[in-house]
Amino acid sequence: MRGQTMRGVTGAVLFGAGLLGAGLPGGGGAAVARLAATPAFYTEAQAEQGAAIYGERCAMCHGAMLEGTYETPALTGKFVANWAGRPVGDLYDYLGRAMPQFAPGSLSGEDNARVLAYLLKANGYRAGQTALPADGAGLHRAVLPAPGPAR
Amino acid sequence: MTDLYGMPERTADRGIGRRTILRGASGLVGLAGLQACAPARMVASAPPAPLPGERPRLIPLRVTPDQLIDVKCCIRPLRAAGPNLATELIGDTLVVHNYGHGGSGWSLSWGSAEIAVGKALSVLPREIAVVGCGIIGLTSAVVAQRAGLKVTIYAREMIRRTRSFRASGSFTPDSRVALAAPAGAAFGDVWEQMARLSWKAFRTYLGLPGNPVEFGDSYNLSDKPIVKREHPADPAIIASWANTGLPQQNSEFGEYRERIRDIVPRPIDVPPDENPFTVPYVQRSSQMHFNFPSYAHTLLSEFFEGGGRFVNRDFHGPAEYAALPEKVVINATGYAARDLWRDTTIIPVRGQTGWLVPQPQANYGVRYRNIMLTSKADGVVVMNTNPDIGEMLGVGDSMELPDRGNIEEALKIIAPALAPREA
Repeated sequence: MRGQTMRGVTGAVLFGAGLLGAGLPGGGGAAVARLAATPAFYTEAQAEQGAAIYGERCAMCHGAMLEGTYETPALTGKFVANWAGRPVGDLYDYLGRAMPQFAPGSLSGEDNARVLAYLLKANGYRAGQTALPADGAGLHRAVLPAPGPAR
Repeated sequence: MTDLYGMPERTADRGIGRRTILRGASGLVGLAGLQACAPARMVASAPPAPLPGERPRLIPLRVTPDQLIDVKCCIRPLRAAGPNLATELIGDTLVVHNYGHGGSGWSLSWGSAEIAVGKALSVLPREIAVVGCGIIGLTSAVVAQRAGLKVTIYAREMIRRTRSFRASGSFTPDSRVALAAPAGAAFGDVWEQMARLSWKAFRTYLGLPGNPVEFGDSYNLSDKPIVKREHPADPAIIASWANTGLPQQNSEFGEYRERIRDIVPRPIDVPPDENPFTVPYVQRSSQMHFNFPSYAHTLLSEFFEGGGRFVNRDFHGPAEYAALPEKVVINATGYAARDLWRDTTIIPVRGQTGWLVPQPQANYGVRYRNIMLTSKADGVVVMNTNPDIGEMLGVGDSMELPDRGNIEEALKIIAPALAPREA
């Protein structure tokens, strides 16, 4: 499971970014600084609960590793590029409104936040002390940054 | 996407074996029998009898489970009122909608694009954007180029990974394209315009390298005499689209195919001595179908050779259309318009196809019981439908996960009907 490989993600990404930055002319330090400043949107507990919900409601289409299929979008890579740079509330709203496709709108606000936490974690965003709000409050003011260099 | 039922309902020419007419005395008996039991106008309007033929030697289609290489599922975007071809202003941007073609997107693509591009030209643009690169978006882009416009397609996928590529790819222009009452009588005229123009446009792709469009014989096999399947309204069903938002029975769907019966081949009975199958009753028709890889390649080539630009991106709402540099945008987002444009009038209709290893030597189709096969360049399409509920199959179902068991079941059902006739 990618979720498991992403445990301790903050340190790993920073470490990886540092190595990458060392081989690049300039910018490496800035990348590390940017990652260190990446806001934490969710708690570890939320992401763990989200992993279970993902397994039940999402994995049958998007895959156990979020890898997607030829037809169904993966929830890594291009997915993050699509949602980064805009309010994380947009993604929260989209999940709550349009997913799962076979029963759109059926996730509770709480479960929606948990699934979102899991997706953020799986994509390299770090956990923090503050939980994603179940009602999405304030998420339209919080921009989702780029996830940082892939490992 | 194209209809997953593929072929139109077969109309049996009951009471007459046309070949029989050609054969002297027995033919006269047949003709007399027809006159006795059918209105005289049927005789007058009967098409010329085909020339005497032979039992064709068909290469048997291999339908064992080991041949199954793909199962594809997709959702047709049905709108009760028919496709959305309306325009609206988002800020200073004119958006021309071109989505919601149900199971008829491929079949109506050229005619629908003609209408959409005509509306786009109303403000005399020099360049336009097309959002979406399924069959409707790509065709709209090419039609716009042919009208002299510079075109940029914005889409999250090129056609090969869109829902259009998960259709069955047969000419089925009135498959789940509208509901009769909410679409109204006027839609029939628009439909006919789109269907006729599309038919002619597809004909210009016949015989091109790779056969992007081709015709094949299609056999309808039956253990019993074949009768046209009717779906009369069931008066016991009170609920309808009008009070539930979903069609409740097959009779609510609009049927328009009779409007183009003069150009689309109709099925004919195959006499017993020409029947290549062991199943006793057979009709044969000519079915036009689209070979997805070749067709996509042909259309994309024209688009790029014509200076077209493709931008890979997603959209999150209508406001982003207004931020595009092009001030005229054709919105061809298919089922995705349901969320992107919050068009909840789009009704999901699930459909599924199985794909067997291509068998180009066995270039024909077969329909038996609830199973349909069509041999195409990229594989033999398998569909497991339910003719008793007709267009209602999959209505309201937005589950897009393939169900392989359903296709394996189909192969079991149709296998006995494909057994070769002994010499």
